[in-house]
Amino acid sequence: MASERPRGARFDGRPIAAAPGETLAQALSHREVPILQRSIRYHRPRAPFCGIGQCTGCLVRVNGVPNVRACRWVPSDGDVIRTENAWPSPRLDLLGLLDRAFPHGLDTSHGFRRPRAFTPLYQRVVRRLAGYGRVPDGPAPPPPPGEQIETDVLIVGGGGSGSAAARTFLDRGVVPTVVERSPAPPAVPGVRWLGGTELSFLPGRPTPERPFRALAVRDGRIGVSISARRVLVATGGYDGPLMFQGNDRPGVLTADGALTLSPAGGPPPFHRAVIVGGTPRVAGLLDRWGEHVEAVVAPGPVHGSVAERAARLGVAVYPRTLLLGARGNGRVRSIRLAARGGGVPSTLAVDAVVLAHRRLPNPQLFFQAGAKMEWRSAGGAYYPTLDGCATSVAGLWAAGTAAGFLDPDGPNASGVAAARQVLGGPAGASPPPARVANDGPGELEGYYRELLGQRRGRGKLVLCPCEDVLLEEVQEASRRGYRGVEVVKRYTAAGTGLCQGRYCLPDVLLVLSQLEGRPPSEVGYITQRPPVLPTPLSALAGVPEETP
Amino acid sequence: MTDAPSRSQYRVVIVGGGIIGLYTAHHLANAGAGPILVLERGFLSSGASGRNGGGVRQQWETTATVRLARESVADYRRFGVEFGYNIWFRQGGYLFLAETDAELARLRGVQKVVAAEGLPARVLDRDGVQRHAPCLALDRIVGGTFLRTDGTLYPFPAVWGLYEAVRRQGVEVVLGTEVTGIRTSDGRVVGVETSKGPLGADVVVNAAGGWSGDLSRKAGLSVPNVASRHEILATEPMKPFLDPMVVRASDGLYFSQTLRGEIVGGLTLHPPSGTAAGMPSSPEFLTAMARALTGLVPRLGRIGILRAWSGFYDDTPDGLPVIGEDPRLRGFVHANGFGGHGFMLAPASTRRVARAVLGEKSDLDPAMFGPGRFLGPRPTVPAERLSLG
Repeated sequence: MASERPRGARFDGRPIAAAPGETLAQALSHREVPILQRSIRYHRPRAPFCGIGQCTGCLVRVNGVPNVRACRWVPSDGDVIRTENAWPSPRLDLLGLLDRAFPHGLDTSHGFRRPRAFTPLYQRVVRRLAGYGRVPDGPAPPPPPGEQIETDVLIVGGGGSGSAAARTFLDRGVVPTVVERSPAPPAVPGVRWLGGTELSFLPGRPTPERPFRALAVRDGRIGVSISARRVLVATGGYDGPLMFQGNDRPGVLTADGALTLSPAGGPPPFHRAVIVGGTPRVAGLLDRWGEHVEAVVAPGPVHGSVAERAARLGVAVYPRTLLLGARGNGRVRSIRLAARGGGVPSTLAVDAVVLAHRRLPNPQLFFQAGAKMEWRSAGGAYYPTLDGCATSVAGLWAAGTAAGFLDPDGPNASGVAAARQVLGGPAGASPPPARVANDGPGELEGYYRELLGQRRGRGKLVLCPCEDVLLEEVQEASRRGYRGVEVVKRYTAAGTGLCQGRYCLPDVLLVLSQLEGRPPSEVGYITQRPPVLPTPLSALAGVPEETP
Repeated sequence: MTDAPSRSQYRVVIVGGGIIGLYTAHHLANAGAGPILVLERGFLSSGASGRNGGGVRQQWETTATVRLARESVADYRRFGVEFGYNIWFRQGGYLFLAETDAELARLRGVQKVVAAEGLPARVLDRDGVQRHAPCLALDRIVGGTFLRTDGTLYPFPAVWGLYEAVRRQGVEVVLGTEVTGIRTSDGRVVGVETSKGPLGADVVVNAAGGWSGDLSRKAGLSVPNVASRHEILATEPMKPFLDPMVVRASDGLYFSQTLRGEIVGGLTLHPPSGTAAGMPSSPEFLTAMARALTGLVPRLGRIGILRAWSGFYDDTPDGLPVIGEDPRLRGFVHANGFGGHGFMLAPASTRRVARAVLGEKSDLDPAMFGPGRFLGPRPTVPAERLSLG
């Protein structure tokens, strides 16, 4: 992490005023999110949304390398950073006319077929429009030598649950290896802490006697091969999406995103926001941003702590309310609301929509390792089937949000319980806390039923922002008889973009459940293919070959 | 989508709802054969038809295969108009790379066979390779071959287009239904056992792709088909910089840039064969592919892998598909053994499958394509060894 301001770093030719250690997205956010990007099909303006390196809202070109996330990049001396896929700039992009020219979207499955003589022309145009950035300017430096690590116990995730588990192991004389995505210093002294490291792939094993062999990437470029006998997954969760018209507009962002874009103690990237959600988490956000919050809108009921804070701060609260849409010329300027059950729509002037209604798990490693999963309606997601904290795969345990633990007394309880179970304690010795912890999702099934019933056919509702897939395309696939999330994903391309489906498939699942008239669990799994996050080829190329 | 068959007796039951099964159904319905049922064990495109890299090439070692491929290219060129779905068949060419003189000599042999069929295949020196793919590191390349009318397509819309077309033609397609046995009587097929009950059939077509060997064995037939798992990956999307599909002779590395801008490709590894272990991805593939790809295209180093998956090739000992009625079991017609090239040969091959179902002769030499070729002494007809890409 840079300890001084970057010297000579430039963004589209202008010097960057970044505080030491600040990310590019933070440096460019001055009470509003910066428009850094245009979307892939309709060139709709895009801005930081997730703030945690998962979505496509902030891709820029850094030193000749495309698709770098501004929310993860800390500028250093002499960096040349440019926006891409927009002309003359992401704020004012000529191809943005595509969005207006095709109000109902472009049908690339059925369109562009005639006349046949135009085929090469159509293909040239579509190819030029597709893709985000240009290929890197020059060859990548040779991959740094990879690393090989052997450990008895591997903990994936150094957050609350993972750290609590790590401390429990240490207390029993076992030194675990902790893989943590954030480059921050170790949260638990005395363990083998791999910071700035992303676990990409945890394949299942042919036999339980063989150790797990996982692939990870450190500092975004060093390949690491980890061999572990026992693995505890505590990968946490993220703020999920919400479907409404204009949900891809700059100014709509997750609570994760709003938090990462607010410098410590500094103001948030908005002047007056609406916060979506009614959980105690929202109460915490009100404590932090109260004076900059216009209203709280919740799909379901609102927790007492939220009502109390809002009353104290004079913030309006709209429980059980549909968020119909976000409007504005480019950025969000207002939202439309209607009380559920047929309320009359009203308009509220806001400059940001902060999504905090739904905490989704990060279950990729469970899927990859072949653990049995189950749909939990109250959580609105798939979670591993557990015996205590043990998954169906021998040697693989789960803790925290990723496993759906409620952990009302802080995130420690399930981490401690999991560590005890790994060390051979009976599952009942320290019963893990109750599971499933969201206010929204169970509620969201009914919420979306009402929303879809109310929707009028004006303007785009972008269900998958990475690939610009519209709600109408999912409805059309269903109308043609394609059933199940796997098939609809292939039919529409929803979920095949850079976020790997994190910000669309949970909603596609709920929409399909309505359209197909069956519970989400029957609509299908959301297959989680490796890697967990896009992983640079050179890092994988540097992973040492397995030594027998 | 239909959940169960509407009748108990069909003229033809096609096992496998992939590109081969659906195209066969289409040709049969065109010929007026019916009623026809297609049974798919998973969902549409759950097998190799939804897992391949979309390559369509006409460069082969055997003239008969070149002809099937050339006819298929013509079919794919008019697919959009015929079936209503744009499969984005882009003829950016196939570029084969040789790293040794022996490999180049082999590719020259292929080029002669292909050119003799009137296709504009060319042998390239290093400069020629560079012109067609400027992003490649040439240090180890001695030359290659190129055919500009080869190309790539999107497999999914081809499946949707055929699925909707055959249903309009009156074919039933039932998904999520597995064939668990073949019912026979007196040396001929009389029906199938399925996970949803028994069905009568005059003809059963084995178009089960990677599972076709398993199916034939359920009918008591010993066949040499082997399911081999092949892995593939896609990178993040970029603006276009690579036109052709690139295939390296030495290790079977292949990749192309899709219309959406992703690099999609794989290479040949040899994991244990058979369908039992399913279709996982492996760290061995990811690292081997990353080394191969960044070695040949160094500027891709910082580009991220977005997703990886795998699927089954249905391999035969001579690299040629199996098309025709099994001489040991009347009414059991093979449409399998495509060795990872079913998509590129489907339109033309399945025309011959349909003729076999109808008991008509086709232009395919049974000694080269028929299932009987594995029963007698070692065949003397040519094998197809250009199994890469």
